[in-house]
Amino acid sequence: MATYVIQRLGLMLLTLFAIVTLTFFLMHAVPGGPFVSERMLAPEIEASLNAKFGLSDPIWLQYLHYLRGIAMFDLGPSFKYPGVSVNQMIADGLPVTLRLGLLAVICVVALGVPMGIVAALNRNKWPDTGVMLLATMGVAIPSYVIATVLLYVFALKLGWVPTFGLDDWRGYILPVLALAGFWISFVARLSRSSLLETFEQDYMTTARAKGLRPGQVLFKHGLRNSLIPVVTVLGPVVANLVTGSFVIEQIFALPGIGRHFVLSITNRDYTAIMGITIFYAALLMVMILIVDLLYLWLDPRIKLSGQSA
Amino acid sequence: MSVPILSVRDLRTSFFSQRGEVQAVRGVSFDVAPGEMIGIVGESGSGKSITCMSILRLLKANGRIKGGEALFDGRDLFKLDEDEMRDLRGNDIAVIFQDPMTSLNPTLTVGEQVIETILRHRRVTRTQARQRAIELFELVRIPSAAARLKSYPHEFSGGMRQRVMIAMALSCDPKLLIADEPTTALDVTIQRQILMLLKELQTRLGMAVILITHDLGVIAEVTDRIVVMYGGMVMEQGDVRDLFARPRHPYTQGLLAAVPDLRDDTHHRLTPIPGSPPDMAHPPEGCPFAPRCPHAMKQCVAAMPPLFDGARCWLQHPEAPRVVGVNMVEAA
Repeated sequence: MATYVIQRLGLMLLTLFAIVTLTFFLMHAVPGGPFVSERMLAPEIEASLNAKFGLSDPIWLQYLHYLRGIAMFDLGPSFKYPGVSVNQMIADGLPVTLRLGLLAVICVVALGVPMGIVAALNRNKWPDTGVMLLATMGVAIPSYVIATVLLYVFALKLGWVPTFGLDDWRGYILPVLALAGFWISFVARLSRSSLLETFEQDYMTTARAKGLRPGQVLFKHGLRNSLIPVVTVLGPVVANLVTGSFVIEQIFALPGIGRHFVLSITNRDYTAIMGITIFYAALLMVMILIVDLLYLWLDPRIKLSGQSA
Repeated sequence: MSVPILSVRDLRTSFFSQRGEVQAVRGVSFDVAPGEMIGIVGESGSGKSITCMSILRLLKANGRIKGGEALFDGRDLFKLDEDEMRDLRGNDIAVIFQDPMTSLNPTLTVGEQVIETILRHRRVTRTQARQRAIELFELVRIPSAAARLKSYPHEFSGGMRQRVMIAMALSCDPKLLIADEPTTALDVTIQRQILMLLKELQTRLGMAVILITHDLGVIAEVTDRIVVMYGGMVMEQGDVRDLFARPRHPYTQGLLAAVPDLRDDTHHRLTPIPGSPPDMAHPPEGCPFAPRCPHAMKQCVAAMPPLFDGARCWLQHPEAPRVVGVNMVEAA
């Protein structure tokens, strides 16, 4: 187990290195730079700025410098916001983004899975039809449309929640719902079909033939087996929710990382693009690792390589 | 016969699909005496498994018991509420299924699957239940019982898994064990071991067993009485020796003719029964076996034969013509 985790962490470092290298050279291959804008700077100012940030160095030297920084967890200074480091940018935005993402993940699990259970237990009856209708809509309608509709109804018309900002807990409701809407629906559909498939299994009949109560049959024998496919998608879902909130952050005017990311791209803020990309990549890989470990616990048939059967 | 532990009377079970009503079981009656092992034989679709799943009330969602009763220990199982029924399942009536590969939950240890059954029906602590599980594993001869409790089903061979299923079924000392094709999915060499284990345990624990199978060889070896089913009905039933020596129903005769006899060195070919089983969505009015029966008469197609002393065949009617040889019928 420990060896497996160490191996995986090693692989993660290699993957990160590849991502850093690719992003670095791709970014520099695109014409333009952080100090090129509509309003032309005087050539000498641009040259001195470039020199200050090391942009006039040969590209391999810039690359090596950057690698050295990363090795020391220093993502460098932002080119656009003088005096602000990328580490700081991430640290500023992270709490909001992370809170939003994790709340969304909790909603996906806490709403999606029970919705699936209710639908599966009432197959072809009205609760099933209702849940599936909702879930189909949730999968089909893009998050920014959901966000806008939610804003219009609950913030503007009913005035139950604020239209923007995170001054109190009510501010989180709409962004989290808009962010999680697709995945709640997706997980609801997935858990429903997975449960229905599990209900057909012989061991479910065995469980009932032992006289177990419906709750025991459902939760102990049914749910665990049918959650395996749900957990499989959960890794990418967590990464997607934590990293994928920049549209929602824009709509609700929330100070998360997502906004910095979008701005840094239009600004060619090299270090910020790199820093956020690397940070997201690392986050994604950690999530996938956690899911894989969760998998081991859920399904004892999965053996780690090297472990004997 | 003493007071039966289970008495099934005129059981009727149907499944409802888009094709309409499929009458899987059409009026089945039989008794099981305490401590007796009976065999229910029949080909796929004869209704033998559905009969037993009806007794346990574990039919699929589209199945319904339409009539009849199943008196277990004097109580009609079909009149119990779901709570009372659950208290019986796994406790007084236990069941072993055909495929031990799929009948055990792959994500729980085998120990847990046995222990949870004990905890469900007995007022014991977890430690006591665990102790009991070890004893059960020893009873069904799973080597290093205590250690194997922690194993998962995929870590066992097919035969060992079926032993786990048996241990689980025996965990609460059932009065009746239903074994639905318990050896069909196993290797031939293992089949006999499991069968002998079942027989030994049945005698030792004094429980009644219903053994469902399509294998007459299995039946002959271990059961006391046979119920032969076809087209959702009982075609013939009786003592195992009588039935093998003097099968009276043409279907039973056909089944026996299709069994290889190793002592026979005349090299004659096995005789298959021509044709296929009836469509239970549109069951025939007369004898369901008539279209495949070498001795079928007009009467057989016209009306359902009653049971004549254990055999549902018009040929058993006192005024029926006498069969003297294959396809030769002598006027009475």
